[in-house]
Amino acid sequence: MTSPRPGGAPGRPPSRRAVLRAGFAGAAGIPLTAALAGCGQGTSISSNPSELVLWYWNRSIAPSLLQKAAQQIPGTSKRLRADVIGGAFDSKLRTGFAAQAYIPDITAVNSNAALYFPSEDQFVNLDDYGAQDFKDDYYEWKWNLGRTPTGRFLFFPMDTGPTGFFYRSDLFEAAGMPSQPDEVSAAVRTWDDWIAFGKQLRESSDVALAGNAVMVFNQFVNASPQRYFDKDDKPLFHEPGSAIREAWDTAVKAVRAKVTRNLQVENEQNAAWNSGKLGANIEGAWWMKVLSDTAPDLSGKWRIAQQPGLPGNSGGSFLAVPKTSKDPAAALAFARWLTLPENQAQSYNEIQLFPSAPKAFTTGLMADSGGFFGDQDPLAFFSTAAENVPTTFISTYENQTTAFTDQLRVVESAGKDPDQAWDDAVVAVDKLLKKRGVI
Amino acid sequence: MAVAERPTTTRTGTDGLSVRRRGLRSFWPQYAAVSPFYVLFLVFGAFPILFSVYLSFTDWDGIGDIKFVGLQQYAFLLQDSRFWNAVSNTLIIWVISTVPMLFLALVMAFLLHQNIRMKGFYRVAFFIPNVTSMVAMAIVFGSVFSDSFGIVNSALTSLGLPTVAWLSTDWGIKITIAVMVVWRWTGYNAILYLAALQAVPDELYDAAKVDGAGFWRTFFSVTIPMLRPVILFTVITSTIGGLGLFTEPQILFGAANGNGTVGGVNEAGMTIVLYQYNQAFSQLDFGYGSAIAWALFALAAVFAIINWRLLRDRDAVPRVGSRAARRRTKEVAR
Repeated sequence: MTSPRPGGAPGRPPSRRAVLRAGFAGAAGIPLTAALAGCGQGTSISSNPSELVLWYWNRSIAPSLLQKAAQQIPGTSKRLRADVIGGAFDSKLRTGFAAQAYIPDITAVNSNAALYFPSEDQFVNLDDYGAQDFKDDYYEWKWNLGRTPTGRFLFFPMDTGPTGFFYRSDLFEAAGMPSQPDEVSAAVRTWDDWIAFGKQLRESSDVALAGNAVMVFNQFVNASPQRYFDKDDKPLFHEPGSAIREAWDTAVKAVRAKVTRNLQVENEQNAAWNSGKLGANIEGAWWMKVLSDTAPDLSGKWRIAQQPGLPGNSGGSFLAVPKTSKDPAAALAFARWLTLPENQAQSYNEIQLFPSAPKAFTTGLMADSGGFFGDQDPLAFFSTAAENVPTTFISTYENQTTAFTDQLRVVESAGKDPDQAWDDAVVAVDKLLKKRGVI
Repeated sequence: MAVAERPTTTRTGTDGLSVRRRGLRSFWPQYAAVSPFYVLFLVFGAFPILFSVYLSFTDWDGIGDIKFVGLQQYAFLLQDSRFWNAVSNTLIIWVISTVPMLFLALVMAFLLHQNIRMKGFYRVAFFIPNVTSMVAMAIVFGSVFSDSFGIVNSALTSLGLPTVAWLSTDWGIKITIAVMVVWRWTGYNAILYLAALQAVPDELYDAAKVDGAGFWRTFFSVTIPMLRPVILFTVITSTIGGLGLFTEPQILFGAANGNGTVGGVNEAGMTIVLYQYNQAFSQLDFGYGSAIAWALFALAAVFAIINWRLLRDRDAVPRVGSRAARRRTKEVAR
């Protein structure tokens, strides 16, 4: 810091003002003018006509493929500039749409794609560029998640998260329970079987099958053809025997049988898996990587069995093309190239993104799990599971339904009466849906 | 006009009228000098404030059309039990954090004011929590207070006491958040108290001694009254901080915790600002988020009025050891 100069006091001769004038024209004026001028540049991030800007988040696209596309997007004359966006991805993208400025030419969208249904006019209908020609190369249930209720196809499939029942075979064996994947799969064919199995395990060796009731509830819903709303956004959970009510009842039964462990915070769950108090989890294929990273010492002890009922899907992202994109056809060409079977195999090997194209498994390029699951081949398991995931519809209003899981947590952790909790949840969700004008 | 009225270079600055008349044009370098703040304030301060007034009367998801709905957002707010739960959580956490925090800070400052060794070390040590990354801190606290694996519960077990589900019960969640606040701000307030303590003139203590006052009498009749302005100041800053409590519950129970338990089980850690953030940026209900912001403003105004009433007719707040103190010295001496 400079010390105050002798001329610092007010009321000095004009020469002082001249200095000020010159100084501030330079220091304050130019950056401000530049910043304001930037607002008028239009919607594109890059003014270079042969450069398409992609927004993605870390670990959503394999770096080696982005490097290739940075030279040239195969089959087009364009190059890709990939900008990795930090936190609050959706907020940043939506801010661009609100301002109609700084919108990428192609963007990754996470499994919450339904968030964009009310703003679907911001995106290009990929059908207009022939996306349907590729339909048969992807899992049907994944492909259908990319379509809005009005029938426009906006979200091109990237990766998926078919689910399975991960479990500690050594703990099961020590408790005298079935421990081979086939045996376990057969023993937990229905949710009631699963709860009975878990009850026996908890009683004999104090090992729980699920971290908390909400995890059971969510995986039940993830594997259900019917979810919270139908395609017209009409709520389904009021009806007796709805999937949501079944999921709720199953989760409550699991709590009562002490199959869940009331671990409401992620830290706790990780610690419980590590210490063997939690011996299982139903989760998407990507959890293999999470598990081998957080608990490397347990290598060889985990196995994967079929979960009760059908497998579900948990997570998985998409690519979408904003309507302001410089070249939607080239953007779609990039999406198609990125998700070719051999490139999806490479994405799996590099950052464990589970493919959306079944042919990726037959390329012979996908690496094995290095024995983390003993002699079991998790790829064989999940490629089979992915074939059986039911087709479903995720409504944009599902983010108004958190009262169900919130109330379920209270049932588990504070012993609230489940029927009262269900009624409270329905009232709370209905209130929000009324506010949104859905019902 | 500018040419005719242009002052000579030998102006004395005593002619106020002509200075005023010269107006914007000849003073523009000065205005330019102060403008960066005002321009930034207009863009990032004033505009969002005014825009949020407008938004609170509308329904807007952030992208689509802004629909005017009149007072509907406020009407919903009044009968929204989640909002009132957030208000009561905020006030409870504020009380159970501020009271022990200021008490501990006073004790700490008092001890630091004594003739002890390594004073400088303690002062720095007590202040460090205040400049520690909140995110790192929340993660550490999440582990320390972990229901089944945390060291707090391990300590309770080894003392033969029952464990507490800190992160999944109503009071556990509130206490955990309050402890984080206390941990972070006690040292900061202690430094303020210490500065005030050092400004208390020794004559007062000497006079008290001469009058035969004991240790506690001196503490309550000399130290506390002399610290009163600073105590009020810390109460006000804690009120501001308490009403705006956000980071601790957000990181402990927010989006970072993959399970989406915003505010913790039963929303026991849901504060007003966390609810506002959740409504605006997670639920994309910007109209309602703005209404909550203005409800918070009303609540803060109530507290401001209470503070103002408390302070009126008394000493100004942050003048430690200034004229006020000297005036008192004289009064006491008299």
